[in-house]
Amino acid sequence: MKDLNRKPKENFLQRIPESLDSFCVNCILVFILTIFLVGIFIFITMASGIGPGGNLIFDAKFSIAGTFVNLINNIPYLPFIAILIPLIGGPIEAYIGRKSETLRDSTVVNSTFVTFLIILAMYPQVAEGSIDYFIPGVFGVGLYFTVDMLGFIMAMTAGILWLMVTIYTRDYMKIERHRNRFSLWMAVTFGGILGTIFAGDILTMFLFFEMMTLTSYMLVAHNQSKESMLAGNNYIYMGVAGGLSILLGIILLYVYTGTLQFVPLAAELNEAGWIKYVITLFFVLGFGVKAGMLPLHIWLPKAHPVAPTPASALLSGILIKVGAFGLLRIITSFFVPDISSLGELDPTLWSVSENLGAVIIWVGIATMTVGVFMALQQSHMKKMLAYHSISQMGYIVMGIGVAAYLGDYGAMGFTGSVYHIVNHALFKGLLFMVAGLVYLRTKEQDMYKLGGLWRKMPFTALVCLIAALGITGMPGFNGFASKSMLHHAIIEAYEYGHSSFRYAEVMFTIVSAGTVCSFIKLFGYVFLGKLPEKYEKIDGDNGMMDMAMAGLAILIVAIGQAPNYFLNAFLIPAARQFVYDPYFINNYLVDMNFFNYADISIMFWIYLFGFGIFFIGSRYHLFHLTMPDWMDVETTLYRPIYNLVYKNAIKITDRYEMTIIKEDVIIYTVILTVALIILTRII
Amino acid sequence: MAYLQFPLFILFILLLGAVITPLLMKRFNKKGQYFIISILMVSLSLSGYLLFQVMTQGSYMYNVGNWSPTIGIQFSIDEFSTMMVFFILLMTTLVVIYSLRDIEHEILPMQIPVYYSLIFLLLVGMVGITFTNDLFNTYVFMEILAMTSCAIISIKRKKANFMAAFKYLMLNTLASISFLFGVTLLYMATGYLNITEMSKQMVVAWELYPTNILLALGFMAAGLGIKAAVFPLHTWLPDAHSSAPTPSSALLSGLVVKVYIFVTMKVLFRLVGTSIIIGNLGIHNYIAYFAAVGMIMGSVFAIGQKDIKRMLAYSSVAQLGYIFLGIGMATTQGLSVSLFHVVSHGLMKSALFLSAGAVIYKTEKRKISDLSGIGYEMPLTMIVFSIAALGMIGIPGMSGFMSKWYLALAVLESGQPLYLIVILLSSFLNAVYYLPIIVAAFLKPREDGSEEMTRDGIPRTMTMPMVIIAGLIILVGIFPQIIMNIIERAVPTFL
Repeated sequence: MKDLNRKPKENFLQRIPESLDSFCVNCILVFILTIFLVGIFIFITMASGIGPGGNLIFDAKFSIAGTFVNLINNIPYLPFIAILIPLIGGPIEAYIGRKSETLRDSTVVNSTFVTFLIILAMYPQVAEGSIDYFIPGVFGVGLYFTVDMLGFIMAMTAGILWLMVTIYTRDYMKIERHRNRFSLWMAVTFGGILGTIFAGDILTMFLFFEMMTLTSYMLVAHNQSKESMLAGNNYIYMGVAGGLSILLGIILLYVYTGTLQFVPLAAELNEAGWIKYVITLFFVLGFGVKAGMLPLHIWLPKAHPVAPTPASALLSGILIKVGAFGLLRIITSFFVPDISSLGELDPTLWSVSENLGAVIIWVGIATMTVGVFMALQQSHMKKMLAYHSISQMGYIVMGIGVAAYLGDYGAMGFTGSVYHIVNHALFKGLLFMVAGLVYLRTKEQDMYKLGGLWRKMPFTALVCLIAALGITGMPGFNGFASKSMLHHAIIEAYEYGHSSFRYAEVMFTIVSAGTVCSFIKLFGYVFLGKLPEKYEKIDGDNGMMDMAMAGLAILIVAIGQAPNYFLNAFLIPAARQFVYDPYFINNYLVDMNFFNYADISIMFWIYLFGFGIFFIGSRYHLFHLTMPDWMDVETTLYRPIYNLVYKNAIKITDRYEMTIIKEDVIIYTVILTVALIILTRII
Repeated sequence: MAYLQFPLFILFILLLGAVITPLLMKRFNKKGQYFIISILMVSLSLSGYLLFQVMTQGSYMYNVGNWSPTIGIQFSIDEFSTMMVFFILLMTTLVVIYSLRDIEHEILPMQIPVYYSLIFLLLVGMVGITFTNDLFNTYVFMEILAMTSCAIISIKRKKANFMAAFKYLMLNTLASISFLFGVTLLYMATGYLNITEMSKQMVVAWELYPTNILLALGFMAAGLGIKAAVFPLHTWLPDAHSSAPTPSSALLSGLVVKVYIFVTMKVLFRLVGTSIIIGNLGIHNYIAYFAAVGMIMGSVFAIGQKDIKRMLAYSSVAQLGYIFLGIGMATTQGLSVSLFHVVSHGLMKSALFLSAGAVIYKTEKRKISDLSGIGYEMPLTMIVFSIAALGMIGIPGMSGFMSKWYLALAVLESGQPLYLIVILLSSFLNAVYYLPIIVAAFLKPREDGSEEMTRDGIPRTMTMPMVIIAGLIILVGIFPQIIMNIIERAVPTFL
């Protein structure tokens, strides 16, 4: 009887009243407008063609769009405004939130939407070169903003993901406290991310990068439980150490080359001797922390699961990409020879880039392998997704490595990794949203305890399937395009470079199969099978959240159906802005045929292999291995370092503080005597 | 040309304040507060005008009473001294505004007029040292400063204060005597006490009496080392700064220690001159070694502290290391970064002490472990604390980042990249002890479990100065040129 009495109460708590309030109306309007605008945008960019000179539609003589474009073409401070809106909006939202939560949530969505519009409005200028904006006086050297195609792609991805997440956030955050604080720091983080993306020199980038690290800490530690505080500690200390590492790199770079701009510096760096490897190391370490590169990834699987779901979606979707973006920025600038001196180019100038690339490729391969292996062992949904983020970052990092390794033939690696950044943002954001909605309804994160949820939430199951097909690389979904490009890239690495990368390609295939297996697990255990009894009465889909997820799902399918559009309209122009060999781009990238027999058949084998792993794994219980403690990087490396610093500091204080204080006169005497001896000896 | 007399006016007004304050009022009241603030405001505006005039019209030497500089006292009114005097007066004004209410909680009411009298004397000492161009006069002002500091530390009449004050007195007397010994030896060698005249004689004196000069340098270094709390000689600082009333901790840590750095710079670069310091002796290298050790060890000791004010005091030891590291580079960039950090650290440490003091004022919590959830109780205070603490760590946007940036460039420019590691390690250690406080304040629940955001509940005269200082930290952090432009003109007076 007691059980019966309790059940309705629980249900009552879970039953969050849903009505079509002003927030929903606002969101629907924004969503429709977004679809409409993105549609127009796609139409324009399709018409604009690949090369320069194809921008007929922007000509004021031909269209209204042209007139409008002329108008926004004269605004060089668009990136600055785009950064400023969330930075100013955040405090305003938090202030409004004290009066009315609905109004605050609408403001959040609307300000993000406006930011997104401003980002889109940069396109005409970006298509014709880049936007440069300089604010002198700040930090002594001035703030420098540049938006090139690469930055535009990143910003667009961030904008669309952020918009969808803000629509999603309201209903999810009902189970969390401190919602004002959350919206404040989320907005400021957005500003930080946009700043990092739009930065025109490394110091500006560093400024916003640090801001992003600190503010996203507030998102990670948001619910203030013990785990999230611990995860937050891990995150912030690694973030600060990474930031200091970048700072060290920047200072060394500045002293040895005299510039902070993202310009080709290989010749200057070559003269710096061994210092250039130190600089490289510091940059790779610093950005690697954010990107979740292998030995530096430990904060990631801790931070992403404990953060509130919208924050996890954003962290996994875009924030860790900023690390990869930083790597991309430095490998496309500092280690690249000046293009104008291409005539008498010294081949040794590529050597740093080549060595760096080779290392990064292997780091990427290791990252993706470890990530997918760890993901297979997880039962916690968000933890599994977090490990997949590591694994997918491995793909991206590997692509960046190929881009650096092959020098001016690296366009395939470059475009592949940027493409994967975009795609991963879409499907991983969506997957986290799905996991969040499942958690919201069932209060359960362990996927082995769930099942049959497709009956209760069919739409969620559908978008989850779309995202899973995306991440596993099914032809027709977006992951396929970027994964095959990365696959091509690694093949090129061993064709043009060292033969050992053949093994890298094998690893790549195995990891892809592991990913397939892992998502069979996720989808199978959560949505298929038998519905546990206690979930008989849960609510199903949620309107606003579904709309947000649908937005991302549409994009996943759309990119998957027309992978060449995105490649031609954005990625190739982005690659053309760097030193990559135009001949190579024209031959291999322009109008690349994605749906060819070789690539599709590889995907077929990968899927088969993935199913195989799944059956073997579930038959022999291979998904519940517990790692020995020494395998955990945290216990073997980071804990000891933390103890070394913290415990020893306390020990030293306890032991020596009073001693030093009590022996002050003796110290004085010794120092005076020594000083006098040293001084008089010099004569 | 009335401004020519301003340096003396400033000193005179401050001295007047020191004398009149205890006479005028038996008990402290509103009238007394207005009187104190107006005296500070007048001297602040005088120094501001002086700074403006010096920046536009150029620097000059001011002979007190129009005596010849060889016999009388001479003030050097240049970009450096006027800027620092302005900064000292500005910070003191803000801290004194803060102290008007805070001090009632810390000391007996009958002592308050005396306390402000001491603050004015402290200012006389600081302004005098900064202005003066006379070595013996420096000594006199140093004694004034030491005595008043000692009195301020012991004013709380607790056992810990008396212990700290006694320790301070003993060590500082030792230091003063050392310094005086050095002055005497230099006087023997050169025949003057005026710094400009002495430096003219220095080349000849170096040939004739090198031992004198070397002994003098040794004694002065040891003496000033104690006064400026260079690492192994810092022993008096944590006790003194943590036990003093909070507003005076802010003054002692933020300003008083810096004044001795000015003396060090004057002795090293103006008096002895770079040719001997760098060319013959290489003293700057040793300064850099000590600074580097201090930067690390100060932070290490700060990590081990349980009392927040004591932690801040040890943090000062580490931060003074930054300033000395800049001096140790002995280049234009090095000196400008140490002057910059004097300002930047003055701002940040004052903000930290004031906000910690506000927490103590309201909740009587001094232990770091008790600070959980204090951010909900006193949001504004803790935001100020966070801004300053992030500055200490070196997050861009705060003045501390610019100090570190310039310092790193200076270190590399003089070809000693090893110190770069020290700087960054020290930054990381700063993060280790500052971040947990911020995190505990804003993310851990309060003792009573409530997480309601409330007003700070402290008087407005306390919040206003803190907020202004926090604003200044960000302003200097974003536009360092405001200060750097003046510093770039001040540094050539040394090198």
